[in-house]
Amino acid sequence: MKKWGELALGIVTSIGGFLEVGSIATSAQGGAEFGYQLAWVLLLGTLSLAMLMEMTGRLAAVSKRTYADLLRERFGFRFFVVPLVAVFVVSLLVLMSEIGGVAIALQMASGIDFRWWAIPIALLGWFLLWRGNFSIVEQGTAMLGLVAISFAVGALVLHPTWPTLGRALLPSLPSHDHARYWYLAVAILGASISPYLYLFYSAGAVEDEWTIEHLSVNRVTAGAGNVFGGGLAIAALVTAALVLAPRGIRVEHYEQIALLLATPLGRTGFVLFIATLFVTCFGATLEIVLAMAYLLAQGFGWSWSENLKPGKDARFSTSYSVLILLAALPIALGADPLSLTNISMVLTAASLPVTVVPLLVLMNDGDILSSHVNGWPSNLALVVMGLLSLVLLVAALPLQLLGGG
Amino acid sequence: MGALRLFHDVIDAQLVDRHQEKIGRVDELLLELEEGKPPRVATIVIGGAARARRVGRWMVACHRAVHALFGQHEEHESRVQFEAVRCIADTIELDVEADALDSMHLEQWLATHIICRIPGASGERK
Amino acid sequence: MSGRTVALSDLLGRVVRDADGRKIGRIEELNAEISLEQGRSDYVVTGFSVGHFEPFDVIATGNFVQQLVRRFVRATGYSRYEIPWDWMDLSDPEHPRALRRADELPRFG
Repeated sequence: MKKWGELALGIVTSIGGFLEVGSIATSAQGGAEFGYQLAWVLLLGTLSLAMLMEMTGRLAAVSKRTYADLLRERFGFRFFVVPLVAVFVVSLLVLMSEIGGVAIALQMASGIDFRWWAIPIALLGWFLLWRGNFSIVEQGTAMLGLVAISFAVGALVLHPTWPTLGRALLPSLPSHDHARYWYLAVAILGASISPYLYLFYSAGAVEDEWTIEHLSVNRVTAGAGNVFGGGLAIAALVTAALVLAPRGIRVEHYEQIALLLATPLGRTGFVLFIATLFVTCFGATLEIVLAMAYLLAQGFGWSWSENLKPGKDARFSTSYSVLILLAALPIALGADPLSLTNISMVLTAASLPVTVVPLLVLMNDGDILSSHVNGWPSNLALVVMGLLSLVLLVAALPLQLLGGG
Repeated sequence: MGALRLFHDVIDAQLVDRHQEKIGRVDELLLELEEGKPPRVATIVIGGAARARRVGRWMVACHRAVHALFGQHEEHESRVQFEAVRCIADTIELDVEADALDSMHLEQWLATHIICRIPGASGERK
Repeated sequence: MSGRTVALSDLLGRVVRDADGRKIGRIEELNAEISLEQGRSDYVVTGFSVGHFEPFDVIATGNFVQQLVRRFVRATGYSRYEIPWDWMDLSDPEHPRALRRADELPRFG
């Protein structure tokens, strides 16, 4: 019985967790400029993330160690420095974008310029991490994140043409603006498949003391949760296609994205948009800060846990405290949240090889996983994802230059 | 505790003290070479410039520069005799006290300055 | 009674040459065992695993990579040497030398 409860919770966490500023912004831009066409990219990103999360979750449940632990233990410190730096830099940029998202939401709600909100948001986030334990942080933001279902509601109200959407779930080539199309495709993939997500998930599995008994919960959580979450992102894309594209509106400010819900749902929609932006970005903020602190602590062997009082894991608590405040600074100083988001999404996509390729080794290591190593289908999927990540690494910079609005 | 593979099982492994508290990772392993005898697994090195050294000389320079900012030469290092190893499994358990290790200096310094200053930090679990 | 101290990371990955000076691979792993001598129980290095495919082999303990390596192995004739401690000369730790010729060294795999 308890298993079902955990299952439901896990799914809820993933739904609320999938959507954040990156997904919202890139889906909105994709829908506004190319209609339904980029839906297949979201599908690809969602499925990839689901598989990556299932795998890092399996690693944690069977070996009782997180993916970050294993990256250092199996490959040595010299190799570890590479994913450490790459994930750290990229995650910091995404973190800044998320804080920007929360700040914009508060600006829209209050009329007070977003720059003033950056530090208060960081302080609130810090306070929740300081006092809250892992369950509170994880479940609290997940429950509130359900407000993101507004996107599904908004999309349904607008009566999308289902056959067209269905066709868009298959890869297609653009009829115009090739560079922009592929740039947005890369950005969407970077928004969907973020290393902090599966690193956090793996650490969370250890925080929640998962065992081999949790392997099925792991599969369902990673699978169903992300598929539902991805569905919401597709809903955002569809809504943008129906609201912004016909009017020829290219997304340049977050306020324009509010139209996605304001048009179908009126004033209520506007409020729901602000709430969704606030909650999903704030949840992501907490997740990313923790993921970065986990990465440092686990890589260097410090004591760590959101379930310990800060005094018992001083280096860990100092890390997340410093990081959240540091990340608020660019927004406080006026950096444009949308530009920051776009750049961080593309860089995320480029950084994927260093956290995807090592899984090919770890998921086949009998010493770590004993009988739970990958079967050939999972390995095949992983090889494909590995190759995809290498393509993204090569293509990201040129596309940013050619297609970055 | 029969055969041991030094790269696979020992170096970079998580270390815990007598009370199962995490005290860092095996950042380096020192072997003693003596004529006519097999190399002896002598010392576990925790912290210091050991990690940086494994990456390269340039990393050691960065490491020293960062610590110079805080008025220190380099990170505090602990050397523990391999005899102190009690158990080698997912983690390596050492027969030491966390408080006695130099490499835990930063942890202790931060804990003292955090606990003193900010409410809600002391205690065991949340 | 004086002994030299060498760091493990300084040995791992070092090119090993045989008695004829031919390069036979790199040190991939040091295998140790407990030795009960003079009333003390110390871990001592009993042998060195020397091979050509450092990244693959050291981490290849699972099915997939092992399959890959074995297929590759048959194609290229790769094998790993297990050199006992007393057949390894570490007087210059940066240039380890096996004290026998390659064809006399025990192979594995």
